[in-house]
Amino acid sequence: MMAVPALSMTGISKVFPGVRALDGVDFECLSGEVHAICGENGAGKSTLMKILGGSYRPDAGTIQLAGQAVRFTHPRQAAEAGIAIIHQELSLLPHRTVAENIFMGREIARRGLLDKAGMRRKAAALLSRIGAAIDPQALVSSLSIALQQLVEIAKALLMDARILVMDEPTAALDERDSRALLGLVEGLRREGVSIIYISHRMPEVMAIADRITILKDGKKVWTRPCDAAPIDEIVRAMVGRDLKDFYPATPVSAPGEVLLAVEGGTNAGLRDLTFEVRAGEIIGVAGLEDSGKGALAQALVGDVPFTGGAVTLRGKRIALRTPRQATAAGIGYLPGDRKSEGLALRQSVRDNALLTLRSLMGLFTRPQQGALAHDVIDERLGAMDVRAADFGQEIGTLSGGNQQKAIIVRWLAQASDILVFVEPTRGIDIAAKAAIYETMRAFADSGRGIVVISSDMPELIGIADRVLVMHQGRVSGAVPRGANEEDIMHLALGLADAPRGEAGA
Amino acid sequence: MTTNIAKPKPAIPDLPVAVLLAGLSIGFFAVVALVTGETAQLSGEGIAGLLQRMVALGLVALGQTFVILVGSIDLSVAALISAVAVLASHVMQGDPAMMLPAVLLCLGFCAVVGFVNGALVAYGGINPLIVTLGTGLIIQGVLAASFGVLQGAVAREFQVIAYGSVLGVPYSLLLLATLSLAAGFVLDRTLFGARIYAVGGNPDGARLAGIRTERVILSAHMVASLFAGAAGLYLAARLQSGTPWIGRDGIYDLESIAVTVIGGTILAGGKGGVAGTLAGVLLFATLDAGFNMLGIDAFLKQVLRGAIVIAAVAVHAVRTKGHVA
Amino acid sequence: MMTVPQTSASLRRPARIAINAGLVIFIALYAAIGFLQPNYLEPGLFMNFLRRAAPLVILACGQLYVILTGGFDLSMGAVATLVVLAASILINGDPDTTWAVIGALYVMGVSIGLVNGFVVAFLKVPSIITTLGTMLLVNGLALAWSGGAARGDLPDNFRNLGRLVWRDVSVIGTLPLAAVVLAGFVALAWFGLNGTVYGKRALAVGDNPRAAELAGTPVAATRILAFVVSAVSAVTAGILLGGFSGVSVNAGEGLELQAIAACVIGGAQLLGGRGSVWSAVFGALSLFALFTLLNLLGLPQALRDSIQGVILIAAVGASMWRTRRRN
Repeated sequence: MMAVPALSMTGISKVFPGVRALDGVDFECLSGEVHAICGENGAGKSTLMKILGGSYRPDAGTIQLAGQAVRFTHPRQAAEAGIAIIHQELSLLPHRTVAENIFMGREIARRGLLDKAGMRRKAAALLSRIGAAIDPQALVSSLSIALQQLVEIAKALLMDARILVMDEPTAALDERDSRALLGLVEGLRREGVSIIYISHRMPEVMAIADRITILKDGKKVWTRPCDAAPIDEIVRAMVGRDLKDFYPATPVSAPGEVLLAVEGGTNAGLRDLTFEVRAGEIIGVAGLEDSGKGALAQALVGDVPFTGGAVTLRGKRIALRTPRQATAAGIGYLPGDRKSEGLALRQSVRDNALLTLRSLMGLFTRPQQGALAHDVIDERLGAMDVRAADFGQEIGTLSGGNQQKAIIVRWLAQASDILVFVEPTRGIDIAAKAAIYETMRAFADSGRGIVVISSDMPELIGIADRVLVMHQGRVSGAVPRGANEEDIMHLALGLADAPRGEAGA
Repeated sequence: MTTNIAKPKPAIPDLPVAVLLAGLSIGFFAVVALVTGETAQLSGEGIAGLLQRMVALGLVALGQTFVILVGSIDLSVAALISAVAVLASHVMQGDPAMMLPAVLLCLGFCAVVGFVNGALVAYGGINPLIVTLGTGLIIQGVLAASFGVLQGAVAREFQVIAYGSVLGVPYSLLLLATLSLAAGFVLDRTLFGARIYAVGGNPDGARLAGIRTERVILSAHMVASLFAGAAGLYLAARLQSGTPWIGRDGIYDLESIAVTVIGGTILAGGKGGVAGTLAGVLLFATLDAGFNMLGIDAFLKQVLRGAIVIAAVAVHAVRTKGHVA
Repeated sequence: MMTVPQTSASLRRPARIAINAGLVIFIALYAAIGFLQPNYLEPGLFMNFLRRAAPLVILACGQLYVILTGGFDLSMGAVATLVVLAASILINGDPDTTWAVIGALYVMGVSIGLVNGFVVAFLKVPSIITTLGTMLLVNGLALAWSGGAARGDLPDNFRNLGRLVWRDVSVIGTLPLAAVVLAGFVALAWFGLNGTVYGKRALAVGDNPRAAELAGTPVAATRILAFVVSAVSAVTAGILLGGFSGVSVNAGEGLELQAIAACVIGGAQLLGGRGSVWSAVFGALSLFALFTLLNLLGLPQALRDSIQGVILIAAVGASMWRTRRRN
């Protein structure tokens, strides 16, 4: 028998109205261990961690820290017990300095008076411990997402956390920054910190975890050492299907005529961009966080428009100065952050699917007739396999995958020619991912085009017919279907020219 | 590991906005005084008079700054000011011996109102606009129903607050200055201040960082109510007796919000401070004084005020990307 | 008026629940009034009740448009005051000019609505500040124009809009013109939200303006139109008010808050995304019934404000409580 585990949770259950979120889950983590938790969305990972962090109280079960039973009623108590959680959503104060953020809630103070100099010194020490060259006096809003993530980690380490929970820490990071983060996790493990690591990115989990626990539908499936758990077995345990039929088959027919052509597209974040999308093609866009791939999506949908260059759709010159113009021209947008940019959460599934159609028709269009009739849109939603008890129910109650499908229906109803996807499967579980990929392929096969921007490289390689790689606001190269991650990474880092020449245009 | 160096962008305090606003205000005041030939306004006495115009609004706005910073808002201040002014004169009835009890009673009442506001916002989870609009209406209604006619007056000794001075500096100005410094100190140097910025900037993050956000919001509301109470007491001293409408007539709710926002405190919370707010108050005071010198009639002044409130907020707001409602 | 046209079975269910909130409160309050003063149950007095409630109902319908898009319009009371004062000054005792003046009043209202809308949509000033500002501005204008006191009188053909009652109408006995105006305005407001795509656009904009914008919704136009409708409702209400209470400098005072309270009582959600014309109509009728009831009980007028405050907090608190329990 090994030493007493740093953390052990036994028989944890939690019921929400109508959902059994956790059902008698056991979980433990040794000191100096990286223990990964895998599972689909809704499997109970986040609930388990929220119970550990004191945000929720369990209905049943016990938590022991180094053999001592604890009960938390407020996140503060968990923090004081040495549990630090780095959340999926950043919890920083953009208008405050790095030092002020690190010490949020744990300010050094004597009789209510702050010791600002002391906090600055300690923040600097912490930052250098994790190897982050960040000025403690810098405003958080001036930092990149990756650096903000490091500030989050510094914040977590402030309390000398013995148990560190990382909930999808790399979701917002690109490949390079993810690798740096994994290096940091390695270092912490050597210091004896217990790390609970939650991620959808399998290669990452395999690279870093000592043990893996699989959750499904609120129950634990199994816990195994990492080397006894090959990826396909993990996936099967999570979803009950094999990995090989994950990405849709490559299309049989060659791409058709040019649909969308961007020539010399330029704005503050983009330099002289030239590429085209053909009918039936899915174009992937890869690049590091600051490479301009996000700016490309925003320019294509008119959110932050091109200031120079020309865009033609089906041979006709189009203006993309506002999202409304882009929408009317036939370019649809599926944002990565669905909650804040994609959905009106309190409106029904049907209303969300009809949003664009209603917005582009004349103001005095009768709302229940023609394409706007309920049975027409219901049929479309049904065809897309959007699962809801009633399409009149609020879309906020659906899963991420079903929400994404409802947004796709929005653009299908509008008969858009080009869809711009950003991180199409972020926060979507594995089973729903396959369905989304299937839909994307079917859309392209119907003679239209897709531009997909993603930081998930296996996804781009699996789904795209061609991947444009961006670096410092330019297309640094393009790779055809079947390329490997190394090629893309080279281009993304700006290290080499395209290995297979100018495939971009 | 490889991390790029953070661009060393220093923390920008709210000073530049404040300095710019203050400069603008003083410039406007000086120009109007010179143009209209009222050069007496530029003497020490004139300036003191100008600054005294800041006191009532300034006190309310300091409190408003706290609630806005914490991500809330207080529309009940106008009614509360009226209530305090009426209560003070009603309790004192001109008797100097009742001064202390009256002041304590008024501040106690403010603390209760602030507590109720804060509790409903923080623990009840009700939108602060609604809560404070509601409590303001409740106070206003009770006040109008029970104190419709003037009753009593504050003690003559109490009026020293408004009219007395030491070495040519009015007490009221000293009061505003002291409370401003105190408010600035609290926000910048104390734990409570840091918590206010944290809760206003990111309530979920603050909660996860172990801050008891409800308490911070509640405390900020109490601070706002107490500052409104101070303004009410000052007005009672200046006017000798309170009426149930002095708060509403002074539009202290709207103007305190406007000067706070003009001073660079963002309505979403988490950014801003006292210096900007005071500069905003100074701007309003100079505009007021300027209109008087120019002889603009009262109604037209109201029109201009409305336009200026919108314009001033627009100057800040127009750059915000994203939507407001 | 109580029948709600609907097209599909699945939509009917939630809509009916929304109606019930305001309708049930109204029926309960009106029953209480009937208990204290049985003659309120006669058609004649009910029609009279409708006549007096008409301005508030109309204002609530206008306010609802703004609330759906996520904003507030606090300037409507001031607009109503301006309408009353401006009408008396412009008509100046000459009944022939009445209709021309009414046209001019609507032009005035539409321009105030446009100003509110443009400032909110393009200058990005939060509507609560914008409309408080225009409230000051419009009030100041009205007072400056009239010299701070009610001047002149309104001719009969203007006042009839609010005052005229047709006697001996079959079935209902009497029919006030104001009730007809009320029904017409509510029908128009209903058509705007349910007979065109505007209603759903407004709900989407109120729920998530950013998502609506990216989906191609004309967010600014949707917002501006809401403020214009709101201002038009204020002009209409002002004309009726001038009809029954004559010229006064505080004709519209406090009506903006009553209109907001009415929408909230009826189940519309502040800051957007939820509500229907029926929330405004039954909310306003409930509020007015409450005022009538308080009058019958002999409570001082001034306490109206207090009651409204309690209602606002209680209504929003109750809906918060419900959503919290549901989650």
